[in-house]
Amino acid sequence: MSAIDELASELARLPGIGRKTAMRLTYHLLKQPAAQCLRLADALVGLTERVRQCEVCYNLTEAPRCPICSDPRRDVTTICAVEEAADIGAIERAAEFRGVYHVLGGRISPLDGVGPGDLTIAALVSRVQRGAVTEVILATNPSMEGEATAIHLQRQLVPTGVRITRIARGLPVGGDLEYADSVTIAQALSARREMA
Amino acid sequence: MNSSVIAEAVRDGAPVVKSVRVQALTLTSFRNYERASLTFRTEGAALLGDNGHGKTNLLEAIYYLELFRSARGARDRDLVRFGDAGFHVVAELDGSPRGALRIAAGYDAATQKKKVSVDNVEVTRLSDAIGAVPAVLFSPADVALVRGAPAERRRFLDVMLALADRGYLLALQRYRQALAQRNAALRALNGHARDAESLDAVAAFEPALADAGAIMLTKRHAWAADAAPAYADTLDAIGERTSVSLSLKRSAAGKVDDSEMAAWLRTTFAAQRAHDVRRGTTHTGPHRDEVQLLLDGRDLRSFGSNGQQRSAAIALRMLEARTLHSALGTAPLLLLDDPFAELDADRSARILGLLGSRGLGQVVLAVPRIEDIPRALTGLQTVRVHQGTLRPDA
Repeated sequence: MSAIDELASELARLPGIGRKTAMRLTYHLLKQPAAQCLRLADALVGLTERVRQCEVCYNLTEAPRCPICSDPRRDVTTICAVEEAADIGAIERAAEFRGVYHVLGGRISPLDGVGPGDLTIAALVSRVQRGAVTEVILATNPSMEGEATAIHLQRQLVPTGVRITRIARGLPVGGDLEYADSVTIAQALSARREMA
Repeated sequence: MNSSVIAEAVRDGAPVVKSVRVQALTLTSFRNYERASLTFRTEGAALLGDNGHGKTNLLEAIYYLELFRSARGARDRDLVRFGDAGFHVVAELDGSPRGALRIAAGYDAATQKKKVSVDNVEVTRLSDAIGAVPAVLFSPADVALVRGAPAERRRFLDVMLALADRGYLLALQRYRQALAQRNAALRALNGHARDAESLDAVAAFEPALADAGAIMLTKRHAWAADAAPAYADTLDAIGERTSVSLSLKRSAAGKVDDSEMAAWLRTTFAAQRAHDVRRGTTHTGPHRDEVQLLLDGRDLRSFGSNGQQRSAAIALRMLEARTLHSALGTAPLLLLDDPFAELDADRSARILGLLGSRGLGQVVLAVPRIEDIPRALTGLQTVRVHQGTLRPDA
């Protein structure tokens, strides 16, 4: 296989990139100065060599502990369990949560061959068992699989006596009722709140 | 008596009933149609032509716009005209309960992608477009509803209720997704659970299964309470002398509301878990419940005569039309694929009379010859179907 084909087929494996785009990117890179290609290559090497999982929460990090776990200002009594490390970024951008995280590494989906044993559930339970944790927020996605994962987590955590909460589901802020899908509206209605 | 209901409607000027109507239909590379268009009159059309020229295919194309699946259970790629890259069906509508004016479905065989659009906007979820063209298809193959396996009757029930009630459709979709996950978890165990923990993935989907299943069961039972007497009356009115009764095998007798039903289902799924592991599949729940048809107390499936089974099947379709009509407040499109071929003229006249008793919607009838058009439908415009071409008579 030629070097061009090799790169193009590697690029085509990436999400959202088809065969044609992969070829276009490859030819684009060929037109760039060699130094720029090498910088990209270095960045890729750095990604694989330096990035690893946080030993506490499984977030992605370059140190043994991720920046959140090593931040003394974070409240370690509250753990927010999320499916993927990328979800942490989304929650952090909201700047509302001051606790720490736990990355499950996916969700229970037997159709995709993912069972509870493939997730970092045992690690979460032992984090809670070590004490100091007062609340676990289950922030898995509001999909059927995310829901099943939350239910499973709940069952695993109940014996520890920790407070278990689930993030709310409903209408997006600034959204328009007219454009919301019916499942969301139904959820929002069943989880409606008294106006204080 | 037996004068043409269509002729009367036409004579009186306006359509007699609120109904969904297809105004124009265009097929491209669908079954044996390379490209064909047809403009429909308000009351519908009678398709005439020898078998194998495309009458049923045309009805199938219209029906496709209701569920985006073949009424005959064919795969999408088998609907593509031989040698072509994909098919496309588009209809201009009037009176759709969803307010849609134009609905289109296309399928590309190379990518196996289906694309559905309502009023030229592509829908992201198929369920958002389902039911824009409520239609009931009567076909000789319907006898399988009575004679066939329980799955046929369950599908009938699910399709009908999903079209009549969006809540049922959403519950059905969630139920199927949860069921697929629970079954995958069961299969992964290979017949035996190594330890209690290996059952966790199975148990994790039971709440979702129970919640969605409870909605389905409540709605099914509500329907059956209303439908059972209507079904008996219909068969009686058609002229069946024996009594055929319709009932749901009640898997949750005495449970009245969703939450009671859900609690009961949760307990059931948990109790059956070990058994399900051995079988490698979920063997109880709404997906296994039966719609029973009894002939004087005995299973119509094995004890009914050909004629009784045919009438019972037609009555099920009539029940479907009735259910959709009252749920949607709009008469569904009636697609009649030579359904009365083996019935005498009196009986087919009575059936059409019953169908039209609350006002007949648009009718598309397919019969081989002009003489085969029941008297009540002689007012329909005739369209000749020949080798995938459509030619309306003047």
